[in-house]
Amino acid sequence: MNSIPIEYYLILSAFMFTVGVTGVLIRRNAIVIFMCVELMLNSANLTMVAFSSYLGQSAGQIFVFFVMTVAAAEAAVGLAIIIAIFRNKLTVNIDEINIFKW
Amino acid sequence: MTIYDIIFYLFAAITVLSAFLVVTAKNIVHSAFYLLFTFFGVAGLYVLLGADFIAIVQIMVYVGGILILLLFGVMLTNKITSVEIKSGTIHVLPAVIGLGLFAAFVLSTMMTTKWKSNPAELPFTTVYDLGYILINEYVLIFELLGILLLIALIGAASIARKDKE
Amino acid sequence: MDASLLTENLSYILPEIVISAALIIIVLFDLIFHNDKRIIPYLAVAGLAVAGFFIIDQFSFEGSAFATSSSANNFGMITVDNFGSFFKLFVVCVSILIVFFSFSSEEIQKTFDRLGEYYALIFGMILGMIILVSASDLILIYLALELLSLSSYVLAGFTKLRDRNSEASLKYLIFGGVSSGLMLFGISIIYGMTGTTNLYLINPLLQAPNLNLITVSFAMILIFTGIGYKISSAPFHFWTPDVYEGAPIVITAFLSVASKAAGFALLIRLIKTTFVTFTSPDGYWQLINAFDWQALLIIISIFTMTLGNFTALWQNNLKRMLAYSSIAHAGYLLLGLVVMSDQGLTAILIYFVFYALMNLGAFYIIMLIANKTGSEEIDDYTGLGSAAPFLGVSLAIFLVSLTGLPPTAGFIGKLYIFIALVDAKMIAVAIIALLNTVVSLYYYVRVLKHMYLQKSDSPKDAILPSTGQILFILILLVPTLLFGVYFTPIVTFAKNSISLLGF
Repeated sequence: MNSIPIEYYLILSAFMFTVGVTGVLIRRNAIVIFMCVELMLNSANLTMVAFSSYLGQSAGQIFVFFVMTVAAAEAAVGLAIIIAIFRNKLTVNIDEINIFKW
Repeated sequence: MTIYDIIFYLFAAITVLSAFLVVTAKNIVHSAFYLLFTFFGVAGLYVLLGADFIAIVQIMVYVGGILILLLFGVMLTNKITSVEIKSGTIHVLPAVIGLGLFAAFVLSTMMTTKWKSNPAELPFTTVYDLGYILINEYVLIFELLGILLLIALIGAASIARKDKE
Repeated sequence: MDASLLTENLSYILPEIVISAALIIIVLFDLIFHNDKRIIPYLAVAGLAVAGFFIIDQFSFEGSAFATSSSANNFGMITVDNFGSFFKLFVVCVSILIVFFSFSSEEIQKTFDRLGEYYALIFGMILGMIILVSASDLILIYLALELLSLSSYVLAGFTKLRDRNSEASLKYLIFGGVSSGLMLFGISIIYGMTGTTNLYLINPLLQAPNLNLITVSFAMILIFTGIGYKISSAPFHFWTPDVYEGAPIVITAFLSVASKAAGFALLIRLIKTTFVTFTSPDGYWQLINAFDWQALLIIISIFTMTLGNFTALWQNNLKRMLAYSSIAHAGYLLLGLVVMSDQGLTAILIYFVFYALMNLGAFYIIMLIANKTGSEEIDDYTGLGSAAPFLGVSLAIFLVSLTGLPPTAGFIGKLYIFIALVDAKMIAVAIIALLNTVVSLYYYVRVLKHMYLQKSDSPKDAILPSTGQILFILILLVPTLLFGVYFTPIVTFAKNSISLLGF
């Protein structure tokens, strides 16, 4: 099962990470930006599980477990805030929300 | 080319393609469903790496929890009558060039580093080991996670509820 | 782990246990007595006082707790040392002041039916901060940072009375989520290179001969992105003005002082424990030779200072102006880190104590004025010098101290930073910092000019603070003036508090 070198997993996760960062920078909708943050977290998780498997330890896997919990909590808080905004303003575009000037 | 290699390439392709489509889809609901496929692809990769418990937790927490929440958010904050949910993209070309350079840098560092490799025999199931170290070595973090979830609950409920008029 | 090891480990985290217990008691109290919430703040102060007592007790010993069995040197996740205890005491004292701050805050009084949740979230922040300053394992660092951040996202948008509150919260959450994602990727790379997440164990492993230093540098930069966002250093400061302006003033004051302190403590501990190879006899550190960290930090701190000071010049909203000024102060604090010596560390600790006093005082007075006049714009401050004499004089003293003029405490803080810079032979950087201080004089004095030298068109009502409010202002004002002339106790305390475990 270990015939695939670890670099393949790392390239995959690096690609996913870059796609996530790209999405955060170029998309405007708050929920889509949040989805891209989840992509970034998933890529970090994949890196850690890959290392944990190739180093023969379980510390990486337990770390991934914790990160998933934190991501779930953050998703809950994020969606609650989005709903609170939407009640007031009826839009979730980051640019339209921007009432703060430079 | 064993069967494991083929499965790896299949799941890798699913993950990569879905991740790309999450970012570039015009319709938000489509983005959410491509994210679903990404999560499933990652779960498959976890199984290939021997982390069976983490794969199941990934499906339960990410797909069953976070993705449902995201879909709630998408559905509640868009006009349900209009099917075409457009969201804009800005400054595409310079961002793509900059990020292409970033991607090239990251990929090259991943490929050229000599990673330590200590391939031990993968245990049949990781649940026993994970449970053991969760309670014995990482017990402080385990308890702290409980407090974090309590705070998230209190916070989310406090923000999202309607004020008593 | 067996019972004796567990109790021994638990004795190291007594303050954290007290804060968690206080949090749970507040939540339970809020549930059981949901009609009478006036006693909850007193519960909070009591909990913080008990925790403070345990922290003072921790100054007498140092050690390491919660070791994972893979660490042979018995270095655990939580370290108790003077450096951590100093910052824990700092956070607890600032939190007690913030509880009293919240009594007078009209925005918080308007959400009186959610007071229990407010204090629960404040305690969540406090718990996150005190674990963050004493954590020596990357997993615990990430978790404590997320606990602190999650509570602050909610608190920033807690009063949902105006649009800008919730939007500040959303901006904070998105920036925070992105930077924690970046930090996590950096942590995963370091885990991959070293096979462990304990800071003490990473140090020797990072000095192994055939390690790819570019990857280490890349991971370090990603981790610093996460921390730099918390201390609002450029170029990760974009969330600070909007969040500080949109959040309730209490939370802005708390974030600008305590959260920044926790971030700095984390940064210092990370650099000192993980990346320092050895310390030269006259106190200068030597870092892992990936690339020139010192140059990078110098550029970041100059950029932060300059950006904060120059952008504050044309702000008309006082909260936003103070937000940019706190960015500038983060720049000055980073200068203390740039010299990479124990002297710089002492300067940072001294500066934090004085910065807390000045910043809390300035925000408190702005809040009292906003309670009465309903505005935070500088144009509405005209003629306030005669309408509110005591508040005017106090605000003047706090603003002068923020600039760094003698005989206030702010001058002493900046003096120590400059002395550390000159001793490290960084004269050019010291001159740039001095020029920045001169620039900051303009926007601080502009407020005084509006208050005292401009006559307002409509006569202002007198703002009479109550006795409790006057007492609170005096608690902050008297040390600001006193420490400007007699600062030896703080300096001695700081000099004794810079020892991290093992160094």
